Amino acid sequence: MPEIIKTAGDSIRKNIFLLTGILLLLLFIVPGSASAQQQRFPMPEFQTGYELPDTDRPEPRAPGMEIFDLAVLVLVLAFTTWLVLKRRSRKLVFWTSVFALLYFGFYRNGCICPIGGVQNVSLALFGDGYILSLTVLAFFVIPLFVTLFAGRIFCASACPLGVIQDLVIIKPVKLPQWLQRTLGLIPFIFLGFAVLYAATGTTFIICRYDPFVGIFRMGASFSMAILGVSFLAAGIFVARPYCRFLCPYGAILRVFSIFSSRHMSITPEECINCKLCEDSCPFDAIDYPNDEKKNRATKADYRRFVFYSAAIPVLIIAGALAVSGSYKLLSKVHPDVYLANLLVEDPGMMYESDMTEIETFMASDRTLEMLVADATEVQSRFRRGGYYLGGFLGLLIGLSLTQQVTFRKRTIYEVNRGSCYSCGRCMEYCPVGKPDHPYHKEDNNNHS
Amino acid sequence: MLMDKSDNILNRARFIAVISGVFTALVSILLIFNYVQISLYDPLDSQVMKQMVARLSSEPGNEELIREIRQMDLLARRAYFNSLWQLRTGAALLLAGAITLIVSLRFIHRQDTHIEKPEGNNINEKQVRIRSQKWIAATGMIIILLAVLSALFSSNHLRQFDTERLADTASVDEEDGIEKLQISSRVAGDDPVGEPADEPEEETGEVVETISRITMADLNENHNSLRGPLGHGITPHSNLPLNWDGETGENILWKTEIEVHGYNSPVIWEDRMFFSGANDQRRVVYCLDRHSGVLLWEREATDITGSPSVPPETTDDTGLAAPSLTTDPYGVYAIFGTGDIIAFSHHGERLWARNLGVPENHYGHSSSLITWDGKVFVQYDTAAGSRLLALDVADGSTVWETPRDNDISWASPILIEQDGSMRLIVLSNPNLDAYDIDNGEQLWSVDCMSGEVGPSPAYGGGLVYAANEYATMVAVDPSDGSIVWEDRYYLPEVSSPVYHDGYLYIATTYAVLACFDAQTGDFIWEFDGEDRFYSSPVIAEGRIYAFDTSGRAYIIEPGDEPVLVSSPDLGDPIYSTPVFADGKLYIRSNTHVYCIGDN
Repeated sequence: MPEIIKTAGDSIRKNIFLLTGILLLLLFIVPGSASAQQQRFPMPEFQTGYELPDTDRPEPRAPGMEIFDLAVLVLVLAFTTWLVLKRRSRKLVFWTSVFALLYFGFYRNGCICPIGGVQNVSLALFGDGYILSLTVLAFFVIPLFVTLFAGRIFCASACPLGVIQDLVIIKPVKLPQWLQRTLGLIPFIFLGFAVLYAATGTTFIICRYDPFVGIFRMGASFSMAILGVSFLAAGIFVARPYCRFLCPYGAILRVFSIFSSRHMSITPEECINCKLCEDSCPFDAIDYPNDEKKNRATKADYRRFVFYSAAIPVLIIAGALAVSGSYKLLSKVHPDVYLANLLVEDPGMMYESDMTEIETFMASDRTLEMLVADATEVQSRFRRGGYYLGGFLGLLIGLSLTQQVTFRKRTIYEVNRGSCYSCGRCMEYCPVGKPDHPYHKEDNNNHS
Repeated sequence: MLMDKSDNILNRARFIAVISGVFTALVSILLIFNYVQISLYDPLDSQVMKQMVARLSSEPGNEELIREIRQMDLLARRAYFNSLWQLRTGAALLLAGAITLIVSLRFIHRQDTHIEKPEGNNINEKQVRIRSQKWIAATGMIIILLAVLSALFSSNHLRQFDTERLADTASVDEEDGIEKLQISSRVAGDDPVGEPADEPEEETGEVVETISRITMADLNENHNSLRGPLGHGITPHSNLPLNWDGETGENILWKTEIEVHGYNSPVIWEDRMFFSGANDQRRVVYCLDRHSGVLLWEREATDITGSPSVPPETTDDTGLAAPSLTTDPYGVYAIFGTGDIIAFSHHGERLWARNLGVPENHYGHSSSLITWDGKVFVQYDTAAGSRLLALDVADGSTVWETPRDNDISWASPILIEQDGSMRLIVLSNPNLDAYDIDNGEQLWSVDCMSGEVGPSPAYGGGLVYAANEYATMVAVDPSDGSIVWEDRYYLPEVSSPVYHDGYLYIATTYAVLACFDAQTGDFIWEFDGEDRFYSSPVIAEGRIYAFDTSGRAYIIEPGDEPVLVSSPDLGDPIYSTPVFADGKLYIRSNTHVYCIGDN
């Protein structure tokens, strides 16, 4: 097997990384400081008869333009599918993703996106009177459909949140497998909570805690600016941290992708086990051939499998009861529950507090009794939703544990369909079908 | 040669990376500096500006100073918008620098990296799986543990609000045992809790609405008007507190501060307590949960046709919210010194409102409301003419209206039952009158009173009593309106008399509580309080509860000789009349409502 020598980095390169580190530190502080400088000055008190102009309210995006957005999404997905499955071009996937970042990210300000669409769909399904726009539904459904057909094409090139992280991958490191598998639970947990909060009409936590939308819009709160820069900074070394360890839509796509009818492959033909692709994936989404003898299931594994399988119903019930019981805390995110708790605990706040929420409430036609009645109704929704969420989390833990004691024999290098973003990096490394690949040159040299 | 060119490009990329890195760092530092500067100097908190504004208040006509303040304000605004511009420009430059840096770093990394044979992985998949199981199981445990902890330890103050009890109260109309009454003025399809009915509605269409008629049993449970059931000043509630201390808080179960003041006394329907407050800006009806003192709702009397834009002038000792409210199962009714009368449901939905005409009253209108049989009775004696009205509780329309010929009165009507019918007793200068509550017909009228009448009539032992300072005290037979006896020994000015067990008690503004034989008018005894009595005495558990204006209460076992049981001090001036329910005493001061009960 040929040895391909990696060029050692020189001292300048080391300095550049040092400089990068300092810049990252600065970038932690700057966006927050920048955002803190806005909205501080009150309106002047004119006494000259000057009439304040009416506040401009931006018109919603024209229906025609929404269809255009949808068309762009479909085109990007179709083109990338072709690039990944047929053309096998990482370079074109990259440039397509740059286009999507500019269009969906900076031009369309990161909205609308299928990630947040999870919440709209949840609210439409479980909420009262929320009408889901067809565009939002299409944005949510089309990537799922494409994933069922061709894997996570949306993540590869169409998602601005994924692409902006992809662009800053410079020095990816491998995380321990156990850590990845544990952190990999978070997107499902986040998804569960996002659905609960959306279905109860509380808030869209995915949008509220979208770390990159502030960058696309060139304006964010202090905390969100810090969060966005943190993800990008971490993304230099831990590739796509948001996608891998947080994105709730990614959790759905992960499941869909496992069952996709077609998927990007590392090699266009038969794998020759050259191992070149082993380190190609910054997302650790390549499964290696395994040693059947070493990884054969033992009796202990069988016992664990039975135990974990039997534990699933228990985990579901325990999770359902526990999470449902925590409705008091969970529901306090809802503005009505928060405000009602505040005012019932200290009614004097109605007159003494200058909190905007209280002032708004006092100026409204709602009575405290109405507020408490609404808040109680919200709490009962949380209690009901808590059963489903807790059950889902119990199932998640149970299935994840069961998965750890099921073995699958692998003789070649292949992408993990759930984790693979179809970015095409590994395709570049594969020498199969590429006569000009260095692998063949080195191989020839060794044989001559 | 080719190698040199490649190195050259790589070196340029490195150079660009360094330059863009330094540029990004500089922009970052400048932005941080800008932030620190703005944080340290808050233009809104300028001491110079504050001093100048303070000077302006003492020199309001100083044009030079005004000009300087404007200049200063303009400078601060310019600085602010300049910093905004710097912020936007800086952010754009920062983004450009960061993009250049990332691109150059990626280029360098790509040029420096070649596809290589990996060193090989030594992953022990078994170990990975075992460790993963541990961590996944730990995650599951942590989730469940956190959920359980939050279930056990997170607070839920909404429970204090006791919504179940409120819900029960809300459904009271549907409960058995309460007689239903057809009312005639709500049209099919009307929402009983919908838009305010500023004008009385016409009787058209299908009658569909029902309301509960008050019974005496209801009144014995609820303190629904000034001085309790029928306005007689006698409460049937027992287990009432005998001692409390405003200073130490002894037996003060709760105390709620009220934002807008009013002299009216609270009224109670089941778990809710209602009262009002008013000033020149606001006229407010309040509803408290009487068990916790929590304010359930407050609603303003606004948007009432005919309501004066500028309220009439009143004196400080009367104000615009002197009349007490009245309540029944259907709603709560309030009248203000502007002539506005308004109804809300127990849940705060506005039912109807109208203006009766601004009362001409040099102190301020103070006659309280009282309700019976689906009607709210309004004694509206003003300098511009006097009348007695019965309004339909459902929509505020006038059921009947009877003109009266008398001077302004500050007294409140009471109800008495005679020959199986309810009568309305009304006191003014010069008459004590009785009216049929069904049609407003005057049954009798006694010319017996003079002066500015404040105390309301009393009833007991088959006689009606009326008294007023600088005038007289009379006992009248309600069957024919004849005067049974008359006396002038002690007379009340504000506080109303009360009858109990053959005795008549009056509380005076010169701190004397006096007892008379109710049948003969003979003086029995007197008791000296420490301060004036404005609050009317109330009989509870056979004892007299009387508050003087200093806030001290006198609880007296009446009879031939007064026995002072206790004289607890609230330490807060009291002008209103106490209210009783379920072993608790409620009293309103100028600033608070108190709930007093044995802990």
